[in-house]
Amino acid sequence: MPVMSHLEVRNVTKRFANVQALDDVSISFHGGEIHAVLGENGAGKSTLMSAISGFLTPDSGSILLDGASIPIGKAHDCKRIGIEMIHQHFTLVPEFTVAENLALVRLKGLVQVSNPAKLSAGAMATGKSLGWALEPESSTRRLPVGVQQRIEILKAISGDASVLIFDEPTAVLSPDEVEELFHVLRQLKSEGKVVVLIAHKLSEVLEISDKVTVLRHGKLIASALRSEVDADMLASWMVGEMPPKSPTRTSQDAQLAVTASKLTVLGDRGEFAINDITFEIKKGEIFGIGGVDGNGQVELAEALAQVRSINSGELEWEGKSFSKDIPKIGYVPQDRQRDGLALRMSIRDNMLVSGLHRPEFFAGPFLKVRSVTNWAKELIKRFSIKVEDPHELAGSLSGGNQQKVVVSRILDNDPELLIIVNPTRGLDIKATQYVHEQILSARGAGAAVLLISADLDELYALSDRTVFLSRGRMVEDQGAASLVGGAS
Amino acid sequence: MVIGLVAVLVLTLLVFRLPVIESLKLLISGAFGDQFAWSRTAVKACPLLFTGLGMVVAWRAGMYNIGGEGQFVMGGICGAAVAKFVLVGSTAIPGWLGSLVILVACGFGGAAWAWLAAWLFVRRGVAVVISTILLNFVAIQFLGYCVSGPLQQKKQEVPLTDTLPDALMLPKPSPQMDLHFGVVLPVLAALVVFVYLYRTRPGYRLRLVGENADMARANRIDAAKVQIQAMLISGTMCGLAGGVEYIGVAGQLGTDFSQQWGFLGIPVALLGGLHPLFSILSAIVFGALFAGSENLARFTNAGATLVYVIQAVAVLGYVGIKARSDAVKAPVEAG
Repeated sequence: MPVMSHLEVRNVTKRFANVQALDDVSISFHGGEIHAVLGENGAGKSTLMSAISGFLTPDSGSILLDGASIPIGKAHDCKRIGIEMIHQHFTLVPEFTVAENLALVRLKGLVQVSNPAKLSAGAMATGKSLGWALEPESSTRRLPVGVQQRIEILKAISGDASVLIFDEPTAVLSPDEVEELFHVLRQLKSEGKVVVLIAHKLSEVLEISDKVTVLRHGKLIASALRSEVDADMLASWMVGEMPPKSPTRTSQDAQLAVTASKLTVLGDRGEFAINDITFEIKKGEIFGIGGVDGNGQVELAEALAQVRSINSGELEWEGKSFSKDIPKIGYVPQDRQRDGLALRMSIRDNMLVSGLHRPEFFAGPFLKVRSVTNWAKELIKRFSIKVEDPHELAGSLSGGNQQKVVVSRILDNDPELLIIVNPTRGLDIKATQYVHEQILSARGAGAAVLLISADLDELYALSDRTVFLSRGRMVEDQGAASLVGGAS
Repeated sequence: MVIGLVAVLVLTLLVFRLPVIESLKLLISGAFGDQFAWSRTAVKACPLLFTGLGMVVAWRAGMYNIGGEGQFVMGGICGAAVAKFVLVGSTAIPGWLGSLVILVACGFGGAAWAWLAAWLFVRRGVAVVISTILLNFVAIQFLGYCVSGPLQQKKQEVPLTDTLPDALMLPKPSPQMDLHFGVVLPVLAALVVFVYLYRTRPGYRLRLVGENADMARANRIDAAKVQIQAMLISGTMCGLAGGVEYIGVAGQLGTDFSQQWGFLGIPVALLGGLHPLFSILSAIVFGALFAGSENLARFTNAGATLVYVIQAVAVLGYVGIKARSDAVKAPVEAG
């Protein structure tokens, strides 16, 4: 009979600046059980798991492993007592070999003589017992994601971990690899370990888990046995009450703008981020795409914005392939500080990036400084950006005003196709309202708008038609279930 | 910044146990005391400003070019090659045109050397810092080969090129002074670089790529193209530095042709805040340090190497202050 561990989370609360990330959450995780934790983005799953694995310190509450408090806020010590987390974003060193990566976690100190073959032997043996043929000397960088995840798992289970937290482990796996992973989870369960699975996809959760806990807005909504729940129940727990859907507004005779057929787009790691999707956007229409982050949204937006090349399929504007200048595209990227702004450049210079093709700002290659400055002043006034001088640095603005800089410069070009990703993330209500008005007025001006947003309220309030993205594929709007890959 | 520099200077003098007031007087009189002092300062500042501008352009594009030295040397070699094989002995070309041809060749040589590093980065992902540092060594060894091989003087006694005829040298206002009219060139170049960076479309793209390459990408700007362009301009500037040193001061190449001018361009650019116009001032400051410390070395037991210590401390101080102010300014966004 294996030793059963028991992890107890009691009344844990954590507050960030103005977000209640965890609100008095208590959960009991038992050994020999696969316990799935479900929730939308920002529901508090990651915060909870970070607290359990020592990456952050909760404001109050306690976490007990087999009755003893875990070393709160000390990731390294949590690892030592057997709490292991398998991260969604791999923590492997790409330059290392498989053996070196496996040996890394077994190093006792920095000055120890490194003997990867010896240190990784245990993990390699565990791998073998699971039927994984790993080549210890192969370079990690070149391995497929599925194999990289195996290394990540071996790192965690080759010691004597008693709690294993899997953070969305299936996000990057193919169906075969998912089956394989489930096999491992069941094995761990039979060894009496506490297995925690953070997940989005309902069908997978229903297949593998023994117990399900749902979080929403930092609150514990319900904990239940697998046998007591079904997909619809879980979905409605996750989303709560669905916001009212706006009626489909696009008139039938609106002119066709974008046709995307059998579109496939590769992500940064060469994975199929967008897999064979087909859709149309009409002029004067807001086409909404919802779904949980990381399901291909950014890649789709970049493909349409012609920032990322498409792998296969067709992108047409009014029936002709996209070209360099057709259509006139306005792209509001999701991460304004990464892709939208140069924080150490002036507001004026940040606006100029959308004016580079405009003849009124240039005489030959030379900048007409005064016209650009006047234009910047005009945008500041028209979009009520809270700043006096366009020469101030973009980094000095608040988040909402930064977003206004991006939105203003793009809308001022009167784009024919507006692509806009999570445009109000991190903004306060007033700024959000303002950005929404701008999107609606772009539609009013006849632009085809692709709105990608993980915020259901925003999506339903603005979109004329809505679909969802799940693992790179398009899912028809089926209410809450579509968020997690559709009811199945 | 000026106060900081003076403080650093005083501290360094104290560490070297030199009488502070007297030493400062010697430094100042050596740098600005009379027209001869001014002339020495200007002549030292001239290649420094060119290499400094080279760094400004490259670094502004996010290309951390450490290869000013190699580009300086390759510029000199190209200039000397053109002088030897095309110009010397030819009577058809007037001297001023000859000088110009040599300078063009020098700029070209530097640009070609910088292009190599840019290509390695854009196509092969080799870090610019690494490739440019290594290319410095290649260039310096190549210089050694050239001056004892294909470019060696006719007498073949020492590893030096032939001395250029006066007609090909940059004209001087007075034979008693080091000063040559070439010193106006980097000042003009600074103005051109200023206009380029702040008043043209390609210059804007260059700054944008350096500040945020992801934003450039999201706006469909080809960062690789911009980065290559920046390195070409940077290399041209460093090559021209070699040119003014060659036909303004040295008149011939030897293995000691490179006097760290390429490396010193980095502190010049940093102290000038990576701005072309402020770099004029910082090049003069460094030129004055050189001229002044020569004077100091003449009258005290402080070696001329003191100037390198002062420069190193000045740059470290500058980087420290800047890192601090950047950290303070860095915006934090909630949520």
